[in-house]
Amino acid sequence: MGGRVRIAVCVSVSFFAYAGIVHAQSQAIGAPPETSNMKLVGHSDLQARSAYQPTIHHQGDRYIAYIGHHGGTDDVPAPINPLTGKAEPNGTSIVDVTDPAHPVYLRHIPGQEGKYEGGGGQMVRVCDGKALPKGDASAVYLLRTFGGEAHEIWNVADPANPVLVTRIGGLKDTHKNWWECDTGIAFLVSGAPDWRTRRMTQVYDLSDPAHPVQIRDFGLPGQEPGATGAVPTELHGPISTGPSGNRVYFGYGTNKGGFLQIVDRDKLLNGPKEPTPDNLRYPEISRLAMSAFNGANTVFPMPGMPIAEFAKDKDGKTRDIVMIVDEAILNECAEPRQMVWFADVTVENRPMMISSYTVPEASGHFCERGGRFGSHSSNESMAPVYYRKMAFIAFFNAGVRALDVRDPYHPREVGYFIPSITAATDKRCVTIDGKERCRVAIQTNNVETDERGYIYIVDRANTGLHILEMAGEARAVAGLP
Amino acid sequence: MRWLPGIVIAVLALGAMSSMASDRAGGEEGLEPHWREIAWPMPRDGWPVGRAFRCTEAACGGNTELYVRPKRGFCNCDTGVADDDEVDRVADLDLISARFAPREPGRAIRVAGMPGRLRSYDLAMPDGGRHIAIGIAVSHRCDLLVAVAQGTGDAPEMERAAMEFLDTAEMKRWMVSAMEGR
Repeated sequence: MGGRVRIAVCVSVSFFAYAGIVHAQSQAIGAPPETSNMKLVGHSDLQARSAYQPTIHHQGDRYIAYIGHHGGTDDVPAPINPLTGKAEPNGTSIVDVTDPAHPVYLRHIPGQEGKYEGGGGQMVRVCDGKALPKGDASAVYLLRTFGGEAHEIWNVADPANPVLVTRIGGLKDTHKNWWECDTGIAFLVSGAPDWRTRRMTQVYDLSDPAHPVQIRDFGLPGQEPGATGAVPTELHGPISTGPSGNRVYFGYGTNKGGFLQIVDRDKLLNGPKEPTPDNLRYPEISRLAMSAFNGANTVFPMPGMPIAEFAKDKDGKTRDIVMIVDEAILNECAEPRQMVWFADVTVENRPMMISSYTVPEASGHFCERGGRFGSHSSNESMAPVYYRKMAFIAFFNAGVRALDVRDPYHPREVGYFIPSITAATDKRCVTIDGKERCRVAIQTNNVETDERGYIYIVDRANTGLHILEMAGEARAVAGLP
Repeated sequence: MRWLPGIVIAVLALGAMSSMASDRAGGEEGLEPHWREIAWPMPRDGWPVGRAFRCTEAACGGNTELYVRPKRGFCNCDTGVADDDEVDRVADLDLISARFAPREPGRAIRVAGMPGRLRSYDLAMPDGGRHIAIGIAVSHRCDLLVAVAQGTGDAPEMERAAMEFLDTAEMKRWMVSAMEGR
C-alpha cells in the first residue's frame, strides 16, 4: 500500500469513526433516558412550552408546582392550551404534583406575547399569605414576571383559579427575583427605564401584596441614571439569607464577566436610597470577580458548612460557601465552558474560589449533540432534605447532575438524569457556511427540589417537566433511606 | 479500485482544508488603501479578539484606529440594539477608557445589512489626553457585531471614514463570516 493510499484510508476510517460517534450520541425519540442513581417518577409535557423556573409549594395538604415559561418559538408562538382550546402565549404552568407519579396540569396563566426571551413569564416565587406580615391569611401569593415588562402577584389559593392581585409595570426587562416570605421583602430583577442597564434590583416591600411599596433601586455604580463611562455587567439574580443572615448575594453576568457581590441586607434596606455612586457602594461588603469567560446565573449560599477535613483544626472548621453557577448560552460549545464554582466567603472581604465542577464533555460527546452544553442553574430550595448535602445542577444537553457538596472543596457527581426527547422537543440550530444545521437534544434548563426529596427538572426545548428521585448509593449522601 | 472511496474522501478532506486556508489568507487582502491592519491591541477579555485597523491621518483627519469584532450570544434576540444605552454597554469603549461620555444622542444605522445604532463619545484617556470615539453596535438574531473607532480627529470625519471602511466588500464579507463563528 502506497503512502497516499494509506493516508486516504486513515482519513476515511477517521471520518466514519467520528460520524459514528456523533450518530451514537444523538438523542432519538423512543430511546430510554440516560441515568445514574436517579430515577424518573413522573412527567408532564407542560403543553410543550419552553420552561424556566419551577417552584414547588407545599400548599395545605397538596404540593403544587408553579413553572415559569419563556416565550414561544418561531414555529409555535402561542401553543394551544388543551384546557381552554385556545392559543395562549407562554406564561405560568400550575401543576398538582401531590402524587409525583401522576402530575395533574391545573391551569396555564398566559404571559406576555413574544418569542423566546422576548415573551412569556419565566420567573416564579410563592409565599403563603399567613407567612407574610400583612398578607391575607387565606391567600397564597404567586409572584411572577410578565415577560420583560412587569412583575405580577396572583392569589393562587385555589391553584386552578388564580386571581390577579397587583402588577408592577413599566419595565424594560425582568428576571430572576427573590422574595422573603417571612418579611415580604422582595428583590426584583428589573429594568427600570432610566437606568443604564437592562437588569438591576428594585427592592420592594411586598409584605402586603395588594399594596407594593418600593424601598429603593439598587445596582452597581455606573449603572445608575445619568452615569457615564463603562457600564458594569448586568444583574442575573439575588438570593437573600433574610434578617437572621443579613446578607444578600447578587450574581451578575450570564456567560461573561461575572461576579458575586456580597451585600449587607440591613444597610441595603435602611441606608441612603438615592442612587448615587456612594450610596450604591454603601451596603456592599465585597465582590468576587470571576474570569471574563464566565458569568453568575445563580449564587446559592450555604453558610456554616462543617468541613470534615478541617474538623481537628483549631480555627476554620466551618466555612461559609457560595455555589456559583454560570449560564451557557451558545449552541454546540461556541463559547468558553460554563460550569459550577464554589467560593469560600467565610472571610467576607476576601472571598476565594476553592473548587469547580463540570460534566466531562467526552462522557457524552455533548458538544456534538446539539443545543447548549454547560451549566445554567441550581436548585434553590433550602429544605433540610438536601441543603448543604446535595446540589442539583441543570446542565442543558447533559441533563441534571446531582452533586455531593458535603465537602465543597471537593464536590463530586453522584448521579445524573438526561431525559428522553419527545416529538415536542424543539430543534437547536447553528449556522455553518451560511446554512442552518439543526439538531434535537434535551435542554435541561432549571431544577428545583421539594421538602420530600423529589427533584423537578424542566426543559427549555419544550420537553416538559420530569419529576425524579435519587436512587442507589447516592441516597445515602442525603441521608435518605 | 477498492481504494477509490478512501481516495475520494481524502481528496474532499484536503479540498476542504485548502478552502479554509484560502479563507484566512483572503482576510489579509483587498483592504481599502488608507487602512492598514494592525495587531489586536486590547487585552484578552470574555469575547474572542477581532480585527484592528489604523487609518492614515490624511484620509481620516487625524490618527484613527478601528476595532471590530463579533459578540456571539446576545440576549436581546428580538429587540436588537434598541437604544443608546445598549451602545454604551457593548461597543468596547470601555476597553479604550472606562471614562467616556456621549457627545449626543445616537442614531440608527445598518452595517453589512445588520441594523443597530451608532453614537459618538468623548474619551478621557488614561494618559490624560482627550480622544473622540465612534461606537457602533449592530445585531443579527442573537448575535452582535461591534466596532469602535477612536483617535484625535473630529467626530463627523471619523464617523464617515469608519462607516465607509465597514461598507467595503472585504469588510462586509469578513463580518458576515465572523458572525457565523468562522
